[in-house]
Amino acid sequence: MVWRRSITLRLTLLFALASTTVLVAVGSIVGFVMENHFEQMDIAEQLGKLQLIRHALGKVTTAEDLSKLPQQLDDALIGHPGLSVTVVGSDKTIVYTSKETHFPDILLNNAATEISARQKPVVWQQNNHEYSGIAMSVPTSLHAAPLFTVAIALDIQHRRQFMQVFQDTLWIIFGFGIAFSAFLGWIAAHQGLSPVRHIALVAKSISATQLNDRLPLDSVPSELLDLAESFNGMLARLEASFQRLTDFSSDLAHELRAPVNNLMTQSQVALSKTRSSDEYRDVLASNLEEYDRLAKMISDMLFLAKADHGLMVPQHDTINLVTEIQQLIEFYEPLSEESGLTMTVRGAGITTGDRLMIRRALSNLLSNALRHTERGGEIVATVNEINIGEVRVSIENPGTDIAPNHIAHLFDRFFRVDPARLHSGEGVGLGLAITRSIIEAHRGSISVVSQNGVTCFEINLPSAESGSRK
Amino acid sequence: MKILIVEDETKTGDYLKQGLSEAGFIVDVSRNGLDGLHLALAEAYDLLILDVMLPGMDGWQLLHTLRKAGRDMPVIFLTARDQIGDRVKGLELGADDYLIKPFSFAELLARVRTLLRRGKTTETTILVAADLEMDLLKRKVTRAGERIDLTAKEFVLLELLLRRQGEVLPRSLIASQVWDMNFDSDTNVIEVAVRRLRAKVDDGFTPRLIRTVRGMGYVLDVPETE
Repeated sequence: MVWRRSITLRLTLLFALASTTVLVAVGSIVGFVMENHFEQMDIAEQLGKLQLIRHALGKVTTAEDLSKLPQQLDDALIGHPGLSVTVVGSDKTIVYTSKETHFPDILLNNAATEISARQKPVVWQQNNHEYSGIAMSVPTSLHAAPLFTVAIALDIQHRRQFMQVFQDTLWIIFGFGIAFSAFLGWIAAHQGLSPVRHIALVAKSISATQLNDRLPLDSVPSELLDLAESFNGMLARLEASFQRLTDFSSDLAHELRAPVNNLMTQSQVALSKTRSSDEYRDVLASNLEEYDRLAKMISDMLFLAKADHGLMVPQHDTINLVTEIQQLIEFYEPLSEESGLTMTVRGAGITTGDRLMIRRALSNLLSNALRHTERGGEIVATVNEINIGEVRVSIENPGTDIAPNHIAHLFDRFFRVDPARLHSGEGVGLGLAITRSIIEAHRGSISVVSQNGVTCFEINLPSAESGSRK
Repeated sequence: MKILIVEDETKTGDYLKQGLSEAGFIVDVSRNGLDGLHLALAEAYDLLILDVMLPGMDGWQLLHTLRKAGRDMPVIFLTARDQIGDRVKGLELGADDYLIKPFSFAELLARVRTLLRRGKTTETTILVAADLEMDLLKRKVTRAGERIDLTAKEFVLLELLLRRQGEVLPRSLIASQVWDMNFDSDTNVIEVAVRRLRAKVDDGFTPRLIRTVRGMGYVLDVPETE
């Protein structure tokens, strides 16, 4: 199975990551601040006692005073069970010690003369208890050894335990918080992506029979509007080509039905009783005409199918468009004379392409003009270079305007302006479709304008002078 | 004149044989490529009609082998594929003509006759049918001694009909030979052109020389009088 990257999963993970980062940062800062706060409080307590002892020591002037000191200090330490105090003389004799607390040398030997609240305490372990201590040199008025070292230690085991519990609780809460925010993230992503699922749902429901379904654009969030619009555009294009294809197949079936129907009926009627050979010959000849129609339709369809698949590979002959049109006018002369029309060509222009195909395209346009021009009219073909590298052929004939709603379908297969003219000898309605295919295969374009009693077909082709010549 | 048809489609082969036999040719039919090649090498045929898709050996190979063996009789290809690639391939290999299915029998017959006549045109300067005379040098046409004025294209059309008297000429062949238009026009222009020519040549004279063969084309011949 292919691992698909899920947007929901990705968003969920991102939410979790973001909340983890924030919570860890907050937790660390809170921990640090609290730790610091407790430390400050401890120092303040120790400092207070230190001041007290210092004061007491300051009053010691005689050895007798010194012997009273322990009693004084014991009194002062009542109500402070966590505190231990030691007073050491300069000759290392211990003048006073409150408990069995052992003060490390590193503390005693580095006693400062003045202590501020920012003093970093020395921390040590003893009997599974953690102590934080500060030490200070205190002068007295004694003659013999006036300098004493006073050290105060605080049992910080409780604080440590509290911080431990506090942090553990904090991390557990954070753990739940992260999980919860991941869950919320998942819900948010899932909800946020619901328009996408809606699009998918619509897409899923579309089959060939309901290509007219569209995404409702007003319910689509702005980020997805582009996607939805392109999706609708794609549907519209699909619907249009599918419609053309469907029309085409049904038209094709319809077009085939007429000649086949004629063939069947004629043959059945002919066989229903014995007839003279002349009559049989007549039926066969009539059948032949229908077969001709069918054969022509088949070859035209093949030609168009080939063009649709891009298999039409035009040769590269140099073609003088005026000469070609001149020859076609000559070819159609019997018809134009019969109908009392004149056909003229003027201008100049050369293109490269497949002579047979170009001739066929031009012939279709001329015969089309012939059919739709009233007696006495004039069909004018003009060839000229409109831009550098582009030559235009316009074929103009007077005649009834083509209705604007028909213009768009004029180049469609089997399209006829007048459906009643099915059998008036004008081919099978593929002529203009073939013309367009040919022109497009030659990288040209074709258009038609019909107004004020004049219909004008315009073909633009690459000019041979533009370097496309081989 | 002997013609060999190599065509695996039974019905097509039979009808081609019947049609060509009735047109006065001696016809053999072969149903596959290998038999066809043997026959073509063994017997002296004046013309070959080859289907492209054949069992045993396809039309291209057959033609290639034949040309390598030094046989240069004209060859007409029948193909269902109307792709330009096929046309180029066929003509490069030395085919003389090709027809795309579905084709009309009249068209095939006309092309067979064109190929067989190739290089054998007698240098006549005057063509005659009954009391119709065409002088190619003086560009003059008379009927029963009466001068008939024709346009340039009408002259070429009448010359074609006269040169191929008795042959039914399909519209596409006439368009191709007279106007150099090698495609089916979706108009009745040939019909109109022939009608106008007939008005000039036949109206007011007997017998009527130019006939329409329904569904096939046009023919100029002198009707047999009892």
